[in-house]
Amino acid sequence: MNDYIIEARGLYKTYHGEEQAAVDGIDLTVRKGSFFGLLGPNGAGKTTTLAMLTGLLEPDDGLLRVAGFDVRTALDEVKRRIGLVPQEISLYPSLTARENLAYFGMMQGLSGERLNGRIGHCLEFARLNDLAMRRVETFSGGMKRRLSLAIGLIHEPLLLFLDEPTVGVDPASRLFIYENLKAMNSNGMTIVYTSHYMEEVQALCDEAAIMDSGRVIAKGPMSALLSRRGRGVIRIQTESVPSEALRLAIESLPDVQSAVIKNGLLTIETSDPEAAIEAVMGLLREKNVKLMSISHGAADLEALFLSLTGTHLRD
Amino acid sequence: MNDAGNWTKLGASIIKEARLIVRDREALVILFVMPLAFVLIMSLAMQDAFREKSGVFTVAILDNDKGAVGQSVIVAFSSAGYMKTTVFEGAHTEADVKKEINSGAFKFGVIIPEGATTLAKARVQRQLRFAKGEASSGVNVRLISDPAMRVDHRNLVAASLSRALAGVENRLLWEQFAALAGMKITPEREKEIRELLAANRPFEEVKPEDAAGAGVNAPMPTSVQQSVPAWSLFAMFFIVIPLSVTFIKERQLGALTRLKTTPVPPLVVMAGKAIPYFIINQLQIALMLAVGFFVVPLLGAEALSAGNSPVGIALLTVSASLAAVGFGLMTAMFCKTTEQSTTFGGTSVIVFAALGGIMVPKFLMPQFMQSLSIISPLSWGLDGFLDIFVRGGAVRDILPEAAGLSFFGLICMGIAAWRFGLKPR
Repeated sequence: MNDYIIEARGLYKTYHGEEQAAVDGIDLTVRKGSFFGLLGPNGAGKTTTLAMLTGLLEPDDGLLRVAGFDVRTALDEVKRRIGLVPQEISLYPSLTARENLAYFGMMQGLSGERLNGRIGHCLEFARLNDLAMRRVETFSGGMKRRLSLAIGLIHEPLLLFLDEPTVGVDPASRLFIYENLKAMNSNGMTIVYTSHYMEEVQALCDEAAIMDSGRVIAKGPMSALLSRRGRGVIRIQTESVPSEALRLAIESLPDVQSAVIKNGLLTIETSDPEAAIEAVMGLLREKNVKLMSISHGAADLEALFLSLTGTHLRD
Repeated sequence: MNDAGNWTKLGASIIKEARLIVRDREALVILFVMPLAFVLIMSLAMQDAFREKSGVFTVAILDNDKGAVGQSVIVAFSSAGYMKTTVFEGAHTEADVKKEINSGAFKFGVIIPEGATTLAKARVQRQLRFAKGEASSGVNVRLISDPAMRVDHRNLVAASLSRALAGVENRLLWEQFAALAGMKITPEREKEIRELLAANRPFEEVKPEDAAGAGVNAPMPTSVQQSVPAWSLFAMFFIVIPLSVTFIKERQLGALTRLKTTPVPPLVVMAGKAIPYFIINQLQIALMLAVGFFVVPLLGAEALSAGNSPVGIALLTVSASLAAVGFGLMTAMFCKTTEQSTTFGGTSVIVFAALGGIMVPKFLMPQFMQSLSIISPLSWGLDGFLDIFVRGGAVRDILPEAAGLSFFGLICMGIAAWRFGLKPR
């Protein structure tokens, strides 16, 4: 019995006219029932990977099985088992909430009593029962997001892909999305989630993969990924932008694992924050660098991402 | 479409698209109100221009002579196919004729002076050198025209008048020769001479022909026969804008992406788009024909005369719709933004319309432009409709146009499907 709902081996894609591969031979597996985060800066190949996983784009090479079916040979079987909540609102603004649900439900092959039942359930889920007959163009951003999520669930997929589902969403709707995704995951649905919000991914996902330049540069359970990069992060702001010589000097300190300068800010990863702070302060005094602020926190996905890619995810 | 579920999906797609169209007021204005306004305005505005082109000049004749000259002019003008004559009798004056022309009731007026026949006879006798008395000037028969009349049309009527007067002169000469020969000229003799001359004219009537061999007397459309199919075709092709815009919006909003992750064949997606617009095209032509039949006459123009081939009209409508929908789908596939599709779609249809004789009738175009019009599918459609409406054509007569439009539409649809297949699935 295979435990994986997504199996990608040597997945490769180059766009017409491009020399560099958008996805460069990645291996990726997602366990059934997991909440999987897919991270990467712009141009990392994340969107292309998602497009291949959802059957929107055909891989140039490699093996790709989703929900037990080969995407190349049994695409319709794959499509019946997956749902996609795209980054865009992906609704018809001049149709009502019910008409949108009915249309996409029918496109998924639902009809009759089953369709009506699912529409009712999804309206209830999105808390849009009272607004079912209102045109979507009159909805707030949060209501549209909730409806978009509900449409992704209309056919009860085994595997749900969410691409930046909380962009432009008010805090209440964001909380609604978090809670419901967690509940659905607890009930056995596998979720693949991409987001620029690191804290979201860290809080929701139990597994993650980080992509950069078309490759997976780190993957695994969230706890393993975080422990891999030490216990803490120190952020230092100096009066002037730190020099490369200063960064190298800090990185060579015994308790420091890495030091990165980005936007004038020095981010240091360490396994022993207290010892590292003391050593760094001593070095700054010695180099006569004036300190403006210093903060310390636990190791997080943001720091991991920064150390792996040299960039903030939201850049 | 071997899966029965695909028919349900197609039905759902058609209903969805119909709702999007019906709820888009701007699209409805473009698709129905705009062509309706064009049909009404152009049918009424172009009435006179089409009447002139088809050679129906209205002529008022004021015959103060009541003799052979006046009679000859009236007979000559009445028998010419391109003039509709009205003889002013009773107490009318030259001022009355001018007033009628200025009011637009007549395009030309012919003033035959009192005593014209007597004076003409005297002038002929002087030519033969046996006239007595004082010399006099020639008879001055005058032609008055609407100032807006084209010079070539004025020259045409003036030439007709001169020819009629030359005939009178010829006859008078005959009569004088007969008198010289000792024949007594009685009314019966005059009639005999007139018939003899008419039956034995040395030259046949000259009938102008154009290089294409159609002849100037080939049937010409009325303004309604031109405007109704022309602006209907324009409106049918104008679906390129709403069709491509809704498709591009679907792409931009991500709905198409979501749709592509559902188990729906691309053919169903495209057919779901095409069929509602195909139906709209049929409604457009039905509405425009109804306006031509029933509304235009209420506003003073003549009702649409649509020939005798409803099957031919239906065939042309269907094939023109295939062309329009195909062109719209192709535009949607190649344009990335709604601005691009609106600009490209709008401009291309207007250029097709200008070339195809929609805005300026083809018969008013120079030969070079008429030849160029072959590249416009609107021109094929219009030619087909005019074949039926004006020349009494049947299905077999419009088959080339219908085949051309259908082929154009299928090629465009093929390109659109190919392009749709290239995009992310």
